Amino acid sequence: MSAWNEFLAAREIWMVPLTASVLAGALLGALGVYAVLRRIVFVSAALTQLSTLGLVTTLLVEERVHIETEHPVEQLAVAIAFSVVGALVLGALRMRRLPAEGGVGAAWVTASALVVLGASKLVHAAHDLGGMVFGNAVAVPASELVALAVVAAACLAVHLLFAKEIAFVSFDHETALALGMSVRGWDAALFLTIGLAIPVSARVLGALPVFAFLTLPAAAALLLRVGFWLAFLVAAGIGVVAAGAGYVLSWLWEIPTGATMVTIAALLLLPGALGRRAGG
Amino acid sequence: MSTPLVALRGAAVGYGRRPLLSGVELAVVPGDFLAMVGPNGGGKTTLLRALLGSLPLLAGQLERPRSARIGYVPQRDHVDTIWPFTAGEVALMGRVPLLGALRRPGPEDHGEVRRAMARVGVEHLARMAYGELSGGQRQRTLIARALAADPELLVLDEPTSGMDPAAELATMDLLRDLHAGGRLAIVMVSHRLEAVANYARTLAFVDKDRSLFQVGPLEEMLRPEALGTLYGRPVTVRELDGRRIVYPTEGREGR
Repeated sequence: MSAWNEFLAAREIWMVPLTASVLAGALLGALGVYAVLRRIVFVSAALTQLSTLGLVTTLLVEERVHIETEHPVEQLAVAIAFSVVGALVLGALRMRRLPAEGGVGAAWVTASALVVLGASKLVHAAHDLGGMVFGNAVAVPASELVALAVVAAACLAVHLLFAKEIAFVSFDHETALALGMSVRGWDAALFLTIGLAIPVSARVLGALPVFAFLTLPAAAALLLRVGFWLAFLVAAGIGVVAAGAGYVLSWLWEIPTGATMVTIAALLLLPGALGRRAGG
Repeated sequence: MSTPLVALRGAAVGYGRRPLLSGVELAVVPGDFLAMVGPNGGGKTTLLRALLGSLPLLAGQLERPRSARIGYVPQRDHVDTIWPFTAGEVALMGRVPLLGALRRPGPEDHGEVRRAMARVGVEHLARMAYGELSGGQRQRTLIARALAADPELLVLDEPTSGMDPAAELATMDLLRDLHAGGRLAIVMVSHRLEAVANYARTLAFVDKDRSLFQVGPLEEMLRPEALGTLYGRPVTVRELDGRRIVYPTEGREGR
């Protein structure tokens, strides 16, 4: 039996994880357009670490109070809370004595250190944490696919209903402010969607792919010069292709899933980059 | 005197708790053309933000007797050119505050944008990428965006900054033409008095480092003694071929 036939025969195993990966790829790819254009890709890295910190915190509490069974809903809820609060705070940063990158860097490195410290105190859940942080798209429960679908639907609704406001405020916040728009409010809406998308996607893909999917598909779409609004669709499509192909190839070749997805997403930068080079 | 569109009364403006300028009395009436002039970093943009209400006052009052429609043109370099919007899409953003949430731009909005772009001579650029336009074309696109809201008050922050003399003249001539209709009031900030001396009706001198805020009719503010307070040295105003030329002259520290 060939590897491909074995893969097809195992449909029941990969159906949910593959669907979740593809959905996360589309969601992060589209949101990444704002992350790249607003030059906040490292905010997504910091939020991914904050969401992991939320996860570690929950695991630590569970171990300390001797909870033996897994509570994925509570874990995800705390991860979302950490990420959303972090998103709202980092999104509102307008420090006068430090560039915003200083706050983002401080959040990332502090969260990373706390994750390492927290993980060092985990006894039973340390192995689980590895899969959650570095990605284990091979095994995704249906409940996490549902959570991801709900968040994706909420993000889609916010970005469809308030597209023009979020775009205007992101593009030229000075003018939006001068014209009396609620810049903080629209910024909060954008960062809220990013803060929600990261933890639910990190549960499916892992931290590294989440950061990559918020950066590479959008960069690839923007290099193709498709225009602002179409860039969301193209970036989502590139996210779908990278996640789907990455999942399938990692299965067939028995290589790490998250890293395969990221590599494919990086390869998809080439058409735009080479086309731009050829076009001058 | 007509009711002002917007006015600052006894205002103190600044960031945090530290006022950069205090006791500011400034009113913009319909049809006015006010230029705020002063050195770079002198507090002009801060004052502009206070006038627009986007920077809370530290003291005093901001008066807007009625809700006048405002168009705003930021400094061109403050608008990031990596965003892949077309010039038409940028101009359409001028309609966003009028539409309110959940409403998409309709034919009427697109019509207003086309008219605004035609008014400033960039309608043929509507489908071009904003980031690929020249500095002057980008400036006109930003002015079109402001005009798309059919404003009663057009506010511009350093609209000629970084332009060559020809582009600066073209932009100022455009503002003069827009103002000539009589309905539109213009408030602009510039660090170059020469750029506005032939266009403004009202002049304000702003320099936070010397706690300087003076405002008055153009002719009055172009008198040598008034100009001396801005430049800190004697200044001469001459007319050549119907245009005013302002230049500092050698001499003692001014009044």
